[in-house]
Amino acid sequence: MSRARAWALRLTGIAVFLLLWEVVGRIFGEALFAPFSAVIAGFPATVRDYKLFTELAGSFQQLVLGYLLGCAVGIVLGIMMGRSALLDGLLQPWVSMMFVTSIASLVPLFIITFGFGLAFRIAIVFMAAVWYVLLVTYHGARGVSPELLQTARAFEASRLQTFFKVLLPALYPYILAGMRIGLAHAIRAMVIAEMYVIVGFGGVVYNAGVEISTVSLIGALLTIMVVGVALTETLKWLGRKTAPWYDERLQLSN
Amino acid sequence: MSRGRAWALRLTGIAVFLLLWEVVGRIFGEALFAPRSAVRGRRAAMIGAGSLPMALAGAVQHMLVGYLLAVLVAIPVGIVVGRNAAVATAVEPILNAVYAIPPVALVPFFVIWFGLYFEARVALVFAMCFFEILINVLQGVRNIDRGLLDAARALEVTGLALYRKVVIPAASPFIFTGLRVGIGRAVNAMITAELFFSAVNLGQMLKNSSNAFDTASAFAIILAISLFGLACQEGMRFTERLVIPWHHGSEA
Repeated sequence: MSRARAWALRLTGIAVFLLLWEVVGRIFGEALFAPFSAVIAGFPATVRDYKLFTELAGSFQQLVLGYLLGCAVGIVLGIMMGRSALLDGLLQPWVSMMFVTSIASLVPLFIITFGFGLAFRIAIVFMAAVWYVLLVTYHGARGVSPELLQTARAFEASRLQTFFKVLLPALYPYILAGMRIGLAHAIRAMVIAEMYVIVGFGGVVYNAGVEISTVSLIGALLTIMVVGVALTETLKWLGRKTAPWYDERLQLSN
Repeated sequence: MSRGRAWALRLTGIAVFLLLWEVVGRIFGEALFAPRSAVRGRRAAMIGAGSLPMALAGAVQHMLVGYLLAVLVAIPVGIVVGRNAAVATAVEPILNAVYAIPPVALVPFFVIWFGLYFEARVALVFAMCFFEILINVLQGVRNIDRGLLDAARALEVTGLALYRKVVIPAASPFIFTGLRVGIGRAVNAMITAELFFSAVNLGQMLKNSSNAFDTASAFAIILAISLFGLACQEGMRFTERLVIPWHHGSEA
């Protein structure tokens, strides 16, 4: 399929979807499912009434803290587990366990431990991001070519030098992929935590959700969707731009 | 590394972590971060009184219904859409966009459409695992080796036989990945639904323990959910090995 045809198809798909949404929305009405046109028309009011962008910006500032912390820990632990059979064996059971642990189930507990504030939100986002970053980095680290490491050893690189100058660059595409998946989960976790305690962007969703009209609710959902897609695509683009040769190798980890 | 050594390491890891948990828990106290010994006691009490098994049995109901509905819809849709390159390309941006919406943000919608009880919980479970399964099935069907399809055409395998004998077997590793990831998401959705709609079963127990600053109970419930999720995923992995023993690279 040519690129032009693929794009034409995608645009058609989007157009059909929007048309369908409009028709379904008109049939059910604003209270059940606001049509596209009403959401767009009501969007300025949504932004104003709910301070949508201010809340979203505030939420993301807090998200960044937990997310970056999760990335840092996930990358370091992932590399260590991928390169050391000892650490791999010791930590594997716990990583598998944490990986399946539902973030929502942690929320009530974390409120007791961390309160309702910044620490709570950081902890939840951290827990959502760290295991995905760790797992993808770990799979990458296990596959690092032994020749690279032997060369480093032959040149008498220290452990720190090997880590920063050989392992990190070799794993860079995996790390980016892990960070991309981690980000999607971090955003989900942020909304879970915020909707539970009704603050920030999640609070906006909650409050818009109890309104009679669904215009503001859908407006808020569209906003987080656009932000999420934009951030994910940026990380994808960065990966393609800086390490195009790895693209197909990362297909397995969606 | 030998298998014995690997297991010894794993067990050591578990022991070290449990010890660490005990120490941290003793320092912080039960009102903040219960030590493992307290959690074990509480768990035994909850299992003995039947409250934990009962709550889990209640939770499994909406999880299973939602998951099975998602499987029943996602697999046929994924196969049909995946076989048609034009349709697959056209729906791809929509799928990516909808997938980017945090599922819990759909809760207000489900309240409007389905209320606060069983139907709403089923809907959230469905929403949380449907896309995961669909995306994997789509990918599997689209990645089928062209040579296989050409051979089928040369042998004049068409219609249902083509799906039964070529498409589904060839895509099955991806379908199973979707089923496995999907069931993990379903367990996740199971407890999310119980916390965000009317609090029932495990969600209610979790909320009560949190309100009472009873972190030991909270830990016990969280652990039970995680173990259940792990068991579901491993069960699916086991089924996969039984059904498609020829495929081994399912560690994605």
